[in-house]
Amino acid sequence: MSFEVPIGPQHPIHVEPLMLSLEVEGELIVDADVDVSYIHRGIEKALELRPYIQGLYLVERICGICNAAHSLCYCLNVEQLLGKEAPPRARYLRIVVEELSRIHSHLLWLGHYFHTLGFETLFMYFWRDRERVMDMLELITGNRVTTAYNTIGGVRRDLPPDAEQKLRRTLDYIEERVRYYEKVIDSEPTILARTQGVGILKPGDAVRMGVVGPHLRASGIKHDVRLDDPYSGHDEIPFNVITWDTCDCYARVKVRLRETSECVNMIRYALDHMPSGDYRLKIPPFFKAPPGESLSRVEAPRGELIHYSISDGGDRPYRYRVRTPTLANLLSVIEMLRSRGDYEVYIADVPAILGGIDPCICCSARILITDEAKKRRTITTLDDIIRFSRGRRVERR
Amino acid sequence: MSEEDLLRKITERFGEKIIEAKVLGKRRVSILVSPDAYKDVVRYAAQDLGLEFLSCLSGVDRGDSLEVVAHLGYSMHVLIKTRVSKDDPAVDSITDILPAASLYEREIHDLLGIAFKGHPNLKRIFLPEDWPEGVYPLRKDYSPEHPKPLRGGEAV
Amino acid sequence: MGLVEKLVRKCRARSPWILLFDTGACNACDIEIAACLTPRYDVERFGVLAKGSPRHADILVITGPVTRQARDRILRIYEQMPEPKYVVAAGTCATSGGVYWGCYNTYPSLDSVIPVHAYVSGCPVKPEAILRAISVLVEKIEKGEA
Repeated sequence: MSFEVPIGPQHPIHVEPLMLSLEVEGELIVDADVDVSYIHRGIEKALELRPYIQGLYLVERICGICNAAHSLCYCLNVEQLLGKEAPPRARYLRIVVEELSRIHSHLLWLGHYFHTLGFETLFMYFWRDRERVMDMLELITGNRVTTAYNTIGGVRRDLPPDAEQKLRRTLDYIEERVRYYEKVIDSEPTILARTQGVGILKPGDAVRMGVVGPHLRASGIKHDVRLDDPYSGHDEIPFNVITWDTCDCYARVKVRLRETSECVNMIRYALDHMPSGDYRLKIPPFFKAPPGESLSRVEAPRGELIHYSISDGGDRPYRYRVRTPTLANLLSVIEMLRSRGDYEVYIADVPAILGGIDPCICCSARILITDEAKKRRTITTLDDIIRFSRGRRVERR
Repeated sequence: MSEEDLLRKITERFGEKIIEAKVLGKRRVSILVSPDAYKDVVRYAAQDLGLEFLSCLSGVDRGDSLEVVAHLGYSMHVLIKTRVSKDDPAVDSITDILPAASLYEREIHDLLGIAFKGHPNLKRIFLPEDWPEGVYPLRKDYSPEHPKPLRGGEAV
Repeated sequence: MGLVEKLVRKCRARSPWILLFDTGACNACDIEIAACLTPRYDVERFGVLAKGSPRHADILVITGPVTRQARDRILRIYEQMPEPKYVVAAGTCATSGGVYWGCYNTYPSLDSVIPVHAYVSGCPVKPEAILRAISVLVEKIEKGEA
């Protein structure tokens, strides 16, 4: 069987290009590989050429969705190099914006994931609710996406006077909607059929493959950077690390939904216990960092984010290394797409599995399918595979 | 286990193969080893010290040598570094101990030119297909310039 | 002939179907454009639909700095689109390279690869700016000036 579709992009939404090559026998996938060269921009080299304060704005644009996590990680890294620490009020304000950005990212992913499974209405509902969170981000930071809120030494602005009341109302609304969505997902048989038992990743494999974030917690491993390696005041705020034991796509949905409720609780706690005082240290914009190295880790919405930098005493980094969580999770996608023994993966499962890791290199532009038996290679788009998979009723094994 | 205990265990076990070992901060430990002991130290840390999570691998151009850093550990974060010369940079691959290394080693090979002995699939991952061979963007002697525009840079 | 042409232009302007393409962007512009399709901004009331194939689209909306690998794909998509076709460069990165100016894998701007009819600046573009850009382009299409 073959897909003869014109070469050309993509999905109407989320079009970050990724090339996925699949080797198939009929509809069964036997091997897979990825190519991420479309998105490579050379940021690590560019960071070596810019002073630290300019690097902050570049780092934020590594990923537009997790921009708060990237800028927070960068600021923690440079503050470590300088030997300084942000004041207590700044730490809590950073947590508020970080958790708001986690809520918006999870709602975005949930809407998008259900769109790939065929539920357009859920997609519209999730994104409509997400707009309330974006309003809050705009109220506190001044922009919806790429908020530029964190700076070296603290945050750039204080909470506006009416923000707290509006924020609490939005949090109540989000909490109620998350409860509604959980009920919908648990009672809809098609969603359960398409996510339960699909894309199994065993806990031992997950650890050895370096998987991070909600993807790891959906395989039952209790690891969260906020718990194991706290930064920015997370050791003072109580929260639960959500795990789920079924290791499939359904687990990934549940973990992210429940994490959204946890974020709401954390923001409420931070607002209730907000310290007073300065929100920013006075650090001149252009400075020379002392020689040394520093490493900062942050729990971005997709998983553990690492920034490792080496300074030689100048005003720009000697080497700045960024490892995004999606790269860590990509290897597991390749493994989950390979059939072996009783575990069979069909082309119709590709959107559910690829989407399950919440890739920040989302819907592929192109998928290359090689059928060795029939000596046929076709290039298709994820859009067509999504349409194909919706038409198939996947019989559960 | 505290940072000092960890350092003591590794230095006792590997002796003179450890070139430098220091504590960088809370939950951060850095160990510089000679290239022939790199894989054994990683195996010891992963299997005997319980640090079987590989966070990432970083490559650094140190001017006179190239360095590979392995980041291990969920809570306690250990950096295991090794340095090789620029003329023939080759390091043992750790994919048989920690499969997570596979994509990171491809990345370092692509951008810095370090060969990983024993890697199952050392192909291009980040640079485009038509990138010239032997040009490594992350090395210090590479100066970035834009690819040439197609229409002379003027708006049509 | 003039009347038929006017009618055709009017119909074209009433349903501009767009094709989104990301050439290596950070995703912020893409999610803002995607937010246009959702109930708060609802770009479908202007007749805009986001299509999956270049053969169905009138307007190509490109985000992101053009990476080396993506350049061939853009040219191929542009050739596959039927006339009359229009290109919108959404975001500072597509307009002029943005923060990625000087990176070794990106071209300086989109108009060094294909002709562009509208530039929307912003990092990222606000959904309101996208709506305005589409309505201005649509007016031009109706008047025959694009």
